[in-house]
Amino acid sequence: MRKLLMTTAAAAAFALAFASAPSRAAQWDGADDLATSPLACGTGANPAPAFKPYDGGKAVNAPNLAGKEITVVDVPKLIGIGYFNATTKGMQEAAKELGNVKVSTDGPTEAKIDEQIKFIDNYITRGVNGILFAANDPVAIAPVLKKALSKGIHVVGYDANSEPDAREWFVNQAQFNGIAKAMMDSMAKEIGEDGSFAIVTSTFTTPNQARWIAEMHAYGDKCHPKMKWLETVEANEDNVLSFNQATTLINKYGDKLKGIFGMTSVATPASAEAVTKAKECGKIAVVGLATPNAMKPYVHSDCVKSVVLWNPVDLGYAALEVMRAVVDGKLKAGDKEVEAGKLGKLQVVNGSEILLGAPFVFDKANIDKFDF
Amino acid sequence: MSAAASPVQILRRIASQEAMLAVAIIGLAIVVGFVNPRFLSANNLSDLLLGNAYIAVAAIGMSMVIVSGNIDISVGALIGVLATVSGSLAVAGYPIAFAWGAPLVIGIAVMAAQGAVVAYLGIPSIVVTLGMWSILKGGLISVTGGRWITDLPNSFHLADVEVFGVLPMPVLIMVGATILAAIWMRFWPGGRAIYAAGGNPEAARLCGVSPRRTTIFVFAAHGFFAGIAALMFATQLRVIQSTTPAGLELVVITASVVGGVSILGGVGTVIGSTLAAVLLAEIASALVFINVSPYWTHAVQGSLILATVIADILRRRRRLGAA
Amino acid sequence: MNRYLKRHETILAAILIVALIGLGYLNDQFLTLDNLLNQGRLMTEIGLIALPMTFVIVTGGIDLSVGAIVGLCAIVLGVAWKNWGLPLPLAVVVALGVGALAGFCNGLVITRLKAPPLIVTIATLALYRGLAEGISKARSVRGYPDWFYVLGQGEVFGVPTQLWILGACIVIAGVALDRTSFGRTLYAIGANETAARFSALAVDRAKLIVYTLSGLMSGLSAFVLVSRVTTTRSDMGLGYELDVIAAVVLGGASIFGGAGTVWGTVIGLVMIQLLKNGLALTGVKGDATIIVIGVVLIASVLIASSLERRRE
Repeated sequence: MRKLLMTTAAAAAFALAFASAPSRAAQWDGADDLATSPLACGTGANPAPAFKPYDGGKAVNAPNLAGKEITVVDVPKLIGIGYFNATTKGMQEAAKELGNVKVSTDGPTEAKIDEQIKFIDNYITRGVNGILFAANDPVAIAPVLKKALSKGIHVVGYDANSEPDAREWFVNQAQFNGIAKAMMDSMAKEIGEDGSFAIVTSTFTTPNQARWIAEMHAYGDKCHPKMKWLETVEANEDNVLSFNQATTLINKYGDKLKGIFGMTSVATPASAEAVTKAKECGKIAVVGLATPNAMKPYVHSDCVKSVVLWNPVDLGYAALEVMRAVVDGKLKAGDKEVEAGKLGKLQVVNGSEILLGAPFVFDKANIDKFDF
Repeated sequence: MSAAASPVQILRRIASQEAMLAVAIIGLAIVVGFVNPRFLSANNLSDLLLGNAYIAVAAIGMSMVIVSGNIDISVGALIGVLATVSGSLAVAGYPIAFAWGAPLVIGIAVMAAQGAVVAYLGIPSIVVTLGMWSILKGGLISVTGGRWITDLPNSFHLADVEVFGVLPMPVLIMVGATILAAIWMRFWPGGRAIYAAGGNPEAARLCGVSPRRTTIFVFAAHGFFAGIAALMFATQLRVIQSTTPAGLELVVITASVVGGVSILGGVGTVIGSTLAAVLLAEIASALVFINVSPYWTHAVQGSLILATVIADILRRRRRLGAA
Repeated sequence: MNRYLKRHETILAAILIVALIGLGYLNDQFLTLDNLLNQGRLMTEIGLIALPMTFVIVTGGIDLSVGAIVGLCAIVLGVAWKNWGLPLPLAVVVALGVGALAGFCNGLVITRLKAPPLIVTIATLALYRGLAEGISKARSVRGYPDWFYVLGQGEVFGVPTQLWILGACIVIAGVALDRTSFGRTLYAIGANETAARFSALAVDRAKLIVYTLSGLMSGLSAFVLVSRVTTTRSDMGLGYELDVIAAVVLGGASIFGGAGTVWGTVIGLVMIQLLKNGLALTGVKGDATIIVIGVVLIASVLIASSLERRRE
């Protein structure tokens, strides 16, 4: 009996030892030591980004396939989720338009960097002409991508970047600070300049999410300093876990919580559901990144006013167009823009990134036009 | 400890195993309530139960499997598949009863098949269920591509139903299933056979219990409960993700294990696993309420699980005397 | 006993050869030296852990916390070097030490408390993974010196560095299990632990050793992994335990203890790795590949054990 009591006491002490932690929000470290660069507040003009010289890698002795048919493989973070189904759709559209590209999507069934590396490795062995990727980890994926480059395979990234010299170009859906601004401004509009909010994200180690949150921190400090950041919770990519976490937040803070950010296409609908179930629609705002299909019920019931995203179909489309341009020699180091089919001319920023455009906002008016 | 021990002894053993969990649940609630009284609000407590009831139900079946001396790694993937099937049927216009019933039938069938392979072909359950996990996961992605299922008809949402206007359906199902399963395992020969087959298969066979048939039966029952869990899982949200929830099997096994089932077979009750599932959910929620640093949440959870497991083992060893 | 073991491995080897020939026929990049050596490089992390896991399973136990220990050791390696300022070689030793310690703790609870290994290692899995997350605070450690990458990305005499290490470990493990009294003790424990105790075998010490080894090799695996991917993440090693156990049971080890060989585990490991590789090269996608692996796992064990039964 004594041992039992001791063990339980020890466990409780262990737990409470950490309870002395101050606000959980103050714990957020941003996870990658990179500097943040918040945009100007409101609709103020942003300084033009300083020109950065090209910093991408180079395919070594790539065969000249300008105009010829090429085989491209797309290895996203994982297969079997709606977001990457959408990017695949865009790639297939581009392939059909171009007529001389065969592209297929293949990848691990779980977002594990180790698995993704093995997939890319296998395709290098198979001998494809181009690899498109969305990295689970920017540094870990670099060795295998460099291997691809050294074998003359063209490498273009989208959605989640790798180290710049491991790929030739990276199609960025929107700048990190652009997304942060869109999210924070949407939230401020809905809950006011002194509202308090919480964040539901996937994991603290998912690079994109970590950067967005860091930029949101910085932008919030700069342009919405009175908005209170309550805390950030993890929910993997699990629907029900995200729902439970959001519900816990709602119960923990009660009236103090005015808004929830969903940082993944899973967290946002789940948070919306939690708000709906708690009958707090209209009292707690939900702003987040999500695919339109998952959000339709909530946008239609007015629980969610706007969903921020870019168009992943366009993203996939652009990625493949860029790949074709690279192979054809139409896009070279130092170029300032690239022609991308129906999307027109896309800008080159940050040395070797191609910008898709401004974040897209889905709302009640337009959400039914999309099916992904 | 064979199932033929006297009712008083059994009752005493049950009382202490589950009592410890119940004490932990209440104790934790009180402690956290001190730090943040909002934890004890009716809304929070009921949300806690609602959100995790499906794990408790899945743990019922898992406990039976573990008590019978086997294990199942495929249940997480199966629940994902069954939830998708259920949602797809509902969206395709089939009657709701069919959309609810199909997962139960399929769950029973898939699990019973695994049980048959284990029983009659002699393949260890860890191999069969590990293989099945891969097959189900890959199969689900191949067939659905991970599409979101939206446009679910309103009547689909079993979780929204409130019996007598007060009791949420998932909680009712969780409690009801636990009680029924516990009674069945304690008092019906078929249920007690599970303990016998798990504890000492040879002796069981000599007593006329067929371990093979019991194994298939246990897996089938597990499939039934997995089907119910899948329904609860699918009907909670307005949309269904056609994916297999990552790590769910480990959560369910943890609930069974913390609940006191012994992997050596022959010991453990489903009441324990349900209480354990509730406790684990409570811990997860409590950690958010008392502001444990988000980076240390899982470490604290892990150490609490370890502490609970060690305490349970120590307590059991004292009961049995020096082992 | 000996003939039984040889038979399972032989059947498995035969299945493997058939599969290799088939896949080699379907595409010509598969059976090239380059590809096979590369696959050897990629399977080292799982392989290193599968060796002590064979020992553990032979004793009738199991260790589900190996993946979490990999994550923990990877994080400790990075943090010890960058945050605590230790010289990198010392950081590596510390990381290996942490792995061994984690395994030792597993073994301690299992032997002192006579607790079922499944239960203990499920609990420590959560704990160790949580420690990795807590210590790392979600940051990665990168930017290692060049010599550090030789282990994971370099070659010695044309063969990947880590493959030499795996080879050496396989030989040592095989000899230990098959030829030493330590190995015989493990089989005895797995066959009938009570009888083993009554035979005055040092049961607890043997178990403690195998679980500590399991943790140590997980640490070594973490070292190889970090060297190969040039960064540390707290989610490294996620899911490794199932891959390792699949290789070991495929190789003929009985989950109830008392049977299994290092040789069988190696065949199981190679089979899973080459199957995944061969299928990918043939154009089978990721989701279909894991279905095939699942089927192969069940079918191979089924075939091997039914041929077993027929001969008895």
